Amino acid sequence: MCTSRIIATRLLRRLGWLAVSVCGPAAAGTVNVGIVDGEGHALERVVVYLLPTAPAPPTSVAPKPAAMDQRANAFVPHILVVQKGTEVVFPNHDTVSHHVYSFSPARTFELGLYKGNPHAPVLFEQSGLVVLGCNIHDGMLGYILVVDSPYFGMTDERGAVTIEALPEGEYAVNVWTPRARPNQLPATVLVDVLAASAAEVKLEVRGKLMRDHDHPSPVSWERY
Amino acid sequence: MGTLLARAGSALLAVACAGAVAAQEPSDRHQWRIEIDAGYVGADSPLGSWPSGGLGKLRYDETDEHLNAMRVFAQYKGRITPTLSMTVVADYVEDGSAGLDLTEAFLDWRPIPKSPMQQQVRIGAFYPPLSLENGEAGWQSPFTYSYSAINTWIGEEIRPIGAEWSMRRRLGAVGSPQQLRAFASGFFGNDPAGTLLFWRGWSLHDRQSRLNDKLSIPPMPVYTAGVQTGTRPHTLEPFEEIDHEPGVYAGLEWRYARRALVQLAYYDNRADPSAFADGQWGWDTAFTQLAAQFELPGEIGLVAQWMSGDTYWILGTRPNGTRSSTARLVEDRFESKFLLLTRLVRGAHRLSLRYDDFEIVRDEAAPALQADVGHAWTVAYRYSHSARLTGGVEWVEIESRRDLWPLFYSAPHEATESQLRLLVSFNYGAPKTR
Repeated sequence: MCTSRIIATRLLRRLGWLAVSVCGPAAAGTVNVGIVDGEGHALERVVVYLLPTAPAPPTSVAPKPAAMDQRANAFVPHILVVQKGTEVVFPNHDTVSHHVYSFSPARTFELGLYKGNPHAPVLFEQSGLVVLGCNIHDGMLGYILVVDSPYFGMTDERGAVTIEALPEGEYAVNVWTPRARPNQLPATVLVDVLAASAAEVKLEVRGKLMRDHDHPSPVSWERY
Repeated sequence: MGTLLARAGSALLAVACAGAVAAQEPSDRHQWRIEIDAGYVGADSPLGSWPSGGLGKLRYDETDEHLNAMRVFAQYKGRITPTLSMTVVADYVEDGSAGLDLTEAFLDWRPIPKSPMQQQVRIGAFYPPLSLENGEAGWQSPFTYSYSAINTWIGEEIRPIGAEWSMRRRLGAVGSPQQLRAFASGFFGNDPAGTLLFWRGWSLHDRQSRLNDKLSIPPMPVYTAGVQTGTRPHTLEPFEEIDHEPGVYAGLEWRYARRALVQLAYYDNRADPSAFADGQWGWDTAFTQLAAQFELPGEIGLVAQWMSGDTYWILGTRPNGTRSSTARLVEDRFESKFLLLTRLVRGAHRLSLRYDDFEIVRDEAAPALQADVGHAWTVAYRYSHSARLTGGVEWVEIESRRDLWPLFYSAPHEATESQLRLLVSFNYGAPKTR
């Protein structure tokens, strides 16, 4: 059944609280992450990614291609997480043209005015945050978070995400959402993953989060 | 005047050419939106409506209590290159100098950002980015039908004809919620801006002046006498260039995601207050504006603007530029502010409530004359039946006081004006963005 242990973390002081329990049995290691805000409410659509603390053996398998669609003058998904080395296509399903660009240091590119999917995929070779915009539609905002790991996910409406098929070892659990300022995000915590067991991680994003960008607003924010 | 007409004509010609290209090439390079606003008016004003030459602050009076075609407009947005587009808005109205004319015609250049700084340049005749109400196609407000006193006046007398540079950039880390916008413009036209404020005072309506409009000025006896002797214009052409000196405006805007926005701006038409050309006088008009909008708890939107400025005119300048022996500099100090609360209910219903406060003080006498002091309440309900068909009802009530009324007319110091509007709006074409 379940054997629990508390793992000390480097930054327990800042984190507030953290409980990690390792459970089994399972075929590979699993980490269940739950995320709440300062008032204990579950947080949806928060990115969680695990970075192995020991260098991973090199792999010749390229990550699966991903897509960042444009629908109804919005990037869909609003946040896309990809592994370093992933190729991403940007199909425009709208009847109007878009002109997608990024000036983020992690990947600068421009896809000239288009409809449909005429452009070659964009390769993301450097980890970091890539902020997407459209030169025609100021209100369009999207994010691609490039991480140096195949182990990532996004929380559901219960604020939970399960990351599976983890080789044994120590991982740093990272959290990101555009709705929080960097100092609101929990500090990186370490978790030990054992084969055929599941670790539980509870994290808190401090303070109040910004409202989702795509939430309908009673006033207009793009006037020019 | 001639240059304005030429500008308008060339813009229309460009639209026609673009339309011809559009016919052969089905794409979104050419976007049209046509909107027809019509409705019933109920009004109660002892002063009469100002477009029909009255002293009142409203667009309609008792003589308009029937079905009115309030506005028909067409907005064209065309893309010339991937980063260069043009916008032309043509308006048809039946009051004032009725007919079809342009409200805006400009080129808009947005180079692809290579850094966090996004730049934009507009050239032509356009609205300055000062109104937090008028964010929709055709410079319409999504909140109320009658605009606030401040934005009504901007729609009446402020229309830079020149160039505007602006830039936006995020502050702080990538993905930061804070954004800064700066804008600056040099422009011609607008030299008579302030005339309507001086003669008529503030008003609340949605009749935007078109580039070649001739607006009626209330029949002040002193002024009427001037018309008879040929020393006063009988109509105002608000966007004329008289002294051939450019005006300026500039501003800074800070935004925090979709939560808060604060703007500080300064406008000065830098007109020569003694200049005269084509029946129009220059008015040296400058103002500062502080504007803000917030999204409050309960999904309530708050919009507020405060404007304070002054306008100078040399009373007694003759049409030939010489001055009479009694010529003197007249100064009006004007100030207005409004607070608007709005809420969208289930996406299709919108309720808005606005309080306007305004004053104009004239320093030519001691004590200073209360040239126009008052306040107004506006409440509106709007319903979006579909993307094509919307409608609503609005009530406006204005209480104001003018020291000049008893002097010039046998009218009381104070007046209360009210107006009820039922409006149905049908549109066809592109989305409702500016």
